[in-house]
Amino acid sequence: MEHILLRDLDIPDIRNFDVYVANGGYEGLKKAVREHTPEEVIQIVLESNLRGRGGAGFPTGRKWSFIPKDAPIKYVVVNADESEPGTFKDRQILEKNPHQLIEGAMIAAYAIQATAVYIYCRGEFWDLAHALEEEIEAARQANLVGDDVLGSGWNCPVYVHLGAGAYICGEESALLNSLQGLLGQPRVRPPFPAQPGGGLYYAPTVVNNVETLANVPWIILNGAAAYKAIGTPESSGVKIFCLSGHVARPGNYELPFGITFRELIFEHGGGIPNGKKLKAILPSGASGPVLPATGEVLDAPLTYESVAALGSTLGSASFILMDEDTDMVWAAAKMTHFFKHESCGKCTPCREGTYWLERIYRRLLRGEGTMRDLELLKSIPRNMQGGVTLCALGEFAANPVLSTVQHFYAEYEEYVRHAEATREARQAAEQMHDYTLGEAGELPEAVGQGGVR
Amino acid sequence: MNLLRGFATTLKYLFEDKVTVQYPEEERPVRERFKGRHALKRYDNGLEKCIGCALCAAACPADAIWVEAAENTDEERYSPGERYAKTYEINMMRCIFCGYCEDACPTEAIVLEHEYRLTFSDRRDSIYTKEMLIDPPPPGVPGTPQQTEPGRYTRSIPEMKDPL
Amino acid sequence: MTETVTFYIDGQAYQVAKGTNLVDAAKMHDIDIPVFCYHPKLKPVGMCRMCLVELGSLSVNRETGEVERDEHGEPVFRWFPRLQTACTQVVTDGLAVRTTTEAVVQGRNSILEFLLTSHPLDCPVCDKGGECPLQNLTMGYGPGESRFLIDDKIRLDKHVPLGELIYLDRERCIQCARCTRFCDEIVGDDVLAFHERGRRLQIVTISDPPFDTKFSGNTTDICPVGALTTADFRFGARPWELQEEATICPHCPVGCNLSAGTRLDRDAGGKKIIKRIMPRQNEWVNEIWICDKGRFGHHHTRAEGRLEQPMLKQNGAWVPIDWPAAYDLVAAKLRQYGDSLGVLAGPSLSNEDLWELRKLAGLVASEPKLGVWPAAMTGGDLVAQVGVGSGTMLRAVGPETAILVIASDFEEEAPIWWLQVKQAADRGAAVVVANARPTKLDRYARAVVRYRYGEAVSVLNGFAAQALKDKSLTGKLSESRVAGLSQLRAALKGVKPAFGDAGRMLLSAENLIIFAGGEGLSVAQHRELMQAAANLLILTGRAGRANSGLVAVWPGANMQGAYDLGYSAEATQALLDTPPRMWIIGAANPVAEDARAARAITGAEFVVATSLFMTPTSEAADLVLPRQSFAEREGTFTNGMRRVQRFYTVQGIIGDSLPDWKIFAAIGERLNGPKARISAGAVMKDITAHVPAYAQASYPRLAQVERQFPLVGGDDLYYGGTAYFNLSGLGLAIPPVAEDGSAQLEVRPVTVDAPASTDADLSLIPVRVLYDRDVLFEPSRLMHHRVPPPSVELNQADAERLGIADGDRVAVEGDGYQITATARVDGRAPAGYALLPVRLSSTPAPTTPAACTVRKIGE
Repeated sequence: MEHILLRDLDIPDIRNFDVYVANGGYEGLKKAVREHTPEEVIQIVLESNLRGRGGAGFPTGRKWSFIPKDAPIKYVVVNADESEPGTFKDRQILEKNPHQLIEGAMIAAYAIQATAVYIYCRGEFWDLAHALEEEIEAARQANLVGDDVLGSGWNCPVYVHLGAGAYICGEESALLNSLQGLLGQPRVRPPFPAQPGGGLYYAPTVVNNVETLANVPWIILNGAAAYKAIGTPESSGVKIFCLSGHVARPGNYELPFGITFRELIFEHGGGIPNGKKLKAILPSGASGPVLPATGEVLDAPLTYESVAALGSTLGSASFILMDEDTDMVWAAAKMTHFFKHESCGKCTPCREGTYWLERIYRRLLRGEGTMRDLELLKSIPRNMQGGVTLCALGEFAANPVLSTVQHFYAEYEEYVRHAEATREARQAAEQMHDYTLGEAGELPEAVGQGGVR
Repeated sequence: MNLLRGFATTLKYLFEDKVTVQYPEEERPVRERFKGRHALKRYDNGLEKCIGCALCAAACPADAIWVEAAENTDEERYSPGERYAKTYEINMMRCIFCGYCEDACPTEAIVLEHEYRLTFSDRRDSIYTKEMLIDPPPPGVPGTPQQTEPGRYTRSIPEMKDPL
Repeated sequence: MTETVTFYIDGQAYQVAKGTNLVDAAKMHDIDIPVFCYHPKLKPVGMCRMCLVELGSLSVNRETGEVERDEHGEPVFRWFPRLQTACTQVVTDGLAVRTTTEAVVQGRNSILEFLLTSHPLDCPVCDKGGECPLQNLTMGYGPGESRFLIDDKIRLDKHVPLGELIYLDRERCIQCARCTRFCDEIVGDDVLAFHERGRRLQIVTISDPPFDTKFSGNTTDICPVGALTTADFRFGARPWELQEEATICPHCPVGCNLSAGTRLDRDAGGKKIIKRIMPRQNEWVNEIWICDKGRFGHHHTRAEGRLEQPMLKQNGAWVPIDWPAAYDLVAAKLRQYGDSLGVLAGPSLSNEDLWELRKLAGLVASEPKLGVWPAAMTGGDLVAQVGVGSGTMLRAVGPETAILVIASDFEEEAPIWWLQVKQAADRGAAVVVANARPTKLDRYARAVVRYRYGEAVSVLNGFAAQALKDKSLTGKLSESRVAGLSQLRAALKGVKPAFGDAGRMLLSAENLIIFAGGEGLSVAQHRELMQAAANLLILTGRAGRANSGLVAVWPGANMQGAYDLGYSAEATQALLDTPPRMWIIGAANPVAEDARAARAITGAEFVVATSLFMTPTSEAADLVLPRQSFAEREGTFTNGMRRVQRFYTVQGIIGDSLPDWKIFAAIGERLNGPKARISAGAVMKDITAHVPAYAQASYPRLAQVERQFPLVGGDDLYYGGTAYFNLSGLGLAIPPVAEDGSAQLEVRPVTVDAPASTDADLSLIPVRVLYDRDVLFEPSRLMHHRVPPPSVELNQADAERLGIADGDRVAVEGDGYQITATARVDGRAPAGYALLPVRLSSTPAPTTPAACTVRKIGE
């Protein structure tokens, strides 16, 4: 089957505007603008059962339908702040097939009659962002973007904005804050971005993931029913699965929903290298709970529903695989350190909880852990979940800890029992140290002296 | 008969050890936990332990303690941290030597010691000032105020043990 | 009437106005939902997560639409599975809250445990210890013991000066953002911000000079931990050792309610002194805010140099004398010069002082000339006619009210009014600023009107002419109630309505408040300005209503009281025109402030002055009597909105000083006057008997309080901050005459002086700045870095013509005065004018506009 999203695998030069157009590019946008009303476009996307690919899986058509029609200013914001560990799907679209994203974003913008589209790229994507701007310019010259799109009288410029490298800015309200020039911290919701007062510059805004929007042109061209026929009834369509870690052929795989873990890992990914056994799977980067590689798990289909039933989330579908030699305490420590480093600090449980957890892991890895620390690892993450945090980051940060403690408690006990830590673990602990405040808690000089001018 | 019994008691005590102490020529040792006159303690480096927090005054049931605090600088340092006792007075006439001040002190600065000879002929003399209460610095160590290197004594409260 | 809704807390039904925040709604019914980041005066942000509750709603049967009930007839609720923050929830009908379930208790417990992981254990040395929301809530809701290892605690800077007034302790900060949000939302000064992220999130100041706002002290009140403390109080006492006394700020016409924390002090010889000043809640006046001048400007009460004994000048030398001798001397001199007596009352004399001074003058002169000082503004009698009506509350005005601020640099002259007007603008009130130069309020104004100095009156006349064109506004006016109406109509006929947009904004709102300053106006011109404002209010029917009326931005705390008791600036002008042979100067410093007054006073035969310090005026006097500051005695001030407010004895008395009213009454006794009253309250009783407007203002009435919202202080300090709960009186607002529907009002056409063209280079315009060298403020040394050096502001064109650059030393000269100052060329002064901030140097200069020349001088 031909790829819907990763068309660069079929047509190598599709990143070029001419190649894209020659292969049916922008036909979806033309069809939407010329043949459909905005309401019809929303209806088609609604019927296709396209769900948000950023992780939450919210039906895209419903999201668009929330935008009040009478609002004078509306925006589409493309979330290209792809920062989840092990996730590199949006990157491939942005790098190899950018026009499909631009087209999808323009269709979304047409559907809600947006005044502008903003593409928020993570700070490390600066090269992609600059290339993207050139492609947008090519589309603008073809009258597909900007003033009077395709002669419809509707104006919609597309802007690219670079973040400054904060994981939290992938959270939609923090992204909006960052886009506005404010501190990248999540907002209180309601109002949600689609509501007046909640969006970009407080105007109603649709925030969609890159991959989500890249699906839209195909849906418009081929119809909702065709898309809905792919995958399972609840989780329709195709998904890019990112495979990384201990796998023979890591990379992006565009596959329909409903294939099993086993198919993905062993058929497409080529299995675990060096004949090792698979021990654990992180199905959605660092933020979802770890799944032990049991037969039940491996035979489960990859849909939002069935992964949730296993006690994890499909999220952005970035699979980090860990073989039998992986130290799960070390892995959990790495993830905890990541979340500690990326917590925005706005709400208490996440700011303090991630710091506290990281301190405990550091002790464990150094071989200084106690059974009391393990009790803390069971209870502290629980205090970070259950609606107590402002956004999902706090909940995510607790997941790797809770799930590894649940499934791999014996390894933790081993750490405490043999207080002599391995050399690697101790090195990892020291590396963690490099990022955090030093012993005396030095801050950058300007801050320590009371003012940043 | 009763009379004889009375004299017998006298006779008996005549040959027992004497309990009367010839104070002030002779002083009876006090128990280790005896609560006498207060002393304000110093650290080994000569800095005062008292940080002027006035918790002793708050705890004092007799309202005998008066504390006024001021701010340390590295040029003129009395105690670790930012705060020290500029005025520290105990009215010994009011004090009931209950030791609550000692319990309240977060830095173990005030200790009720074994000195019990507290006499004065004027009510005003019953107010013991900081100069009278504070221990002298250890031998060879300067007293207060001291000039200290910046950034060294930034915290008042000695870190406590972990509640394990 | 706002709609009320029913909601349920722990099964109990309550009612509040629709749209109330849930934390506020619970608080109104005395139910605590603990918070750190939420503050009733700020927008919710949901950061600290302390207010976690379980939320639910009434279970409604979908078919019948009726509320489902259990077998006992109690309503059934459906609960959300996760905890939610109460502070981000608005009360809706049928909302249900559970605050005591295990999940909620556990949630709060864990939040406190998290907060305490990085909070240091230095409560014993922390200025907040004892009145700390974090301490209190930890005791109430926190875990009994810590599971966090002390070695893991973050160590950060503990002594970071954010500017010179506020210190930041980074370890104690719990990142609640109350301080940054106060600066952003309430003040609008971009001075504090967060830096970094995660556990490194830090408060930093982003302004230069650091923390550059006039309201910085308020952040220490609302800080829920000891992260922000003031340099003024720093380690002054523990909070539980302080005795809180109620008082009123003596610095400006707002009349902020203060709470003075006092304690006996060894260095002050065992006297009770003020250790710190904090706001006292009065939602009618200052809410829970005060400016830094009020907070830190209290050191004059006990500064070095306070006069302790009456001093008599004998052969050019000062000799101390006792009080009876002083009284006798003044009485004798009054007998001698009674027919040529001038009285000058300073801006911080209490109503009682003014009353006794007036009685004393009345004993020797049939029509005594009672002047006020500074004599730059007038029209207090007009404020009594058309001032703001009963029920005026600035913090509640919104789109239905228009506010005009004219001839005033509002933030410098009345900071808390500025704050409230700024917030009113945020809520949608139409704020119009009229001034000859840009001021900070311009940025919040819906319209800005620029006129040339001296033409302020014509702006108001233009609005009045515009109003006359609108019959719906002015049609109902009757000649019988308003005297002079036809003359005014005739006079306005020829006036062209100017500034139409601003006028429409002002006239289309239901209410109109006019704040009138005196910048660039002579006393006579100011009288016309006030009259023009009164005309406008009466013409449009805006006089005598709540949230509507005229307010004078006086250059002092009790100038309105002085006008209410018969003093005026016109009397001062008359006295300066024909100087009397004897002066009584109460708590004023005209010799230092005004060249003309200095000449008039030094030329008199006998001058008696009451004073706190040896000021230039005291030096020029023959007898100086030591008066008590506002802190050492009782009294009342009438604020600019005509609210009479009581202040109480706060501090031990310095030396033999006496309150002014006692001094004047004792002298009066020697002139066969009535026996002196024994207390300020008794003097006020006299006033209530003789001054009809003050008939209700008895001391017991002024001490009355009512329940105010938000609740602050006491057990509620976690909620509203440590501003003090008002137990000592909200004062009494005196209704204006216009409020009485049958009262006769008067309008009259005003004259518009065309700005006089002079031969002189420039016109000198005295302007007021908040931080000056006034005797009440200069002794507060902490604030000295904020007091600008003597300066004069010039227009770019004028400066170029005169060869003067920014920062040059210049001499400013005119008729009878010469001062040296630093030139400022910063775009604020209009061409042809030199702006001279008053009370910055001790060399007398004019207090009303005058001609001047400016020239550069060498170093």
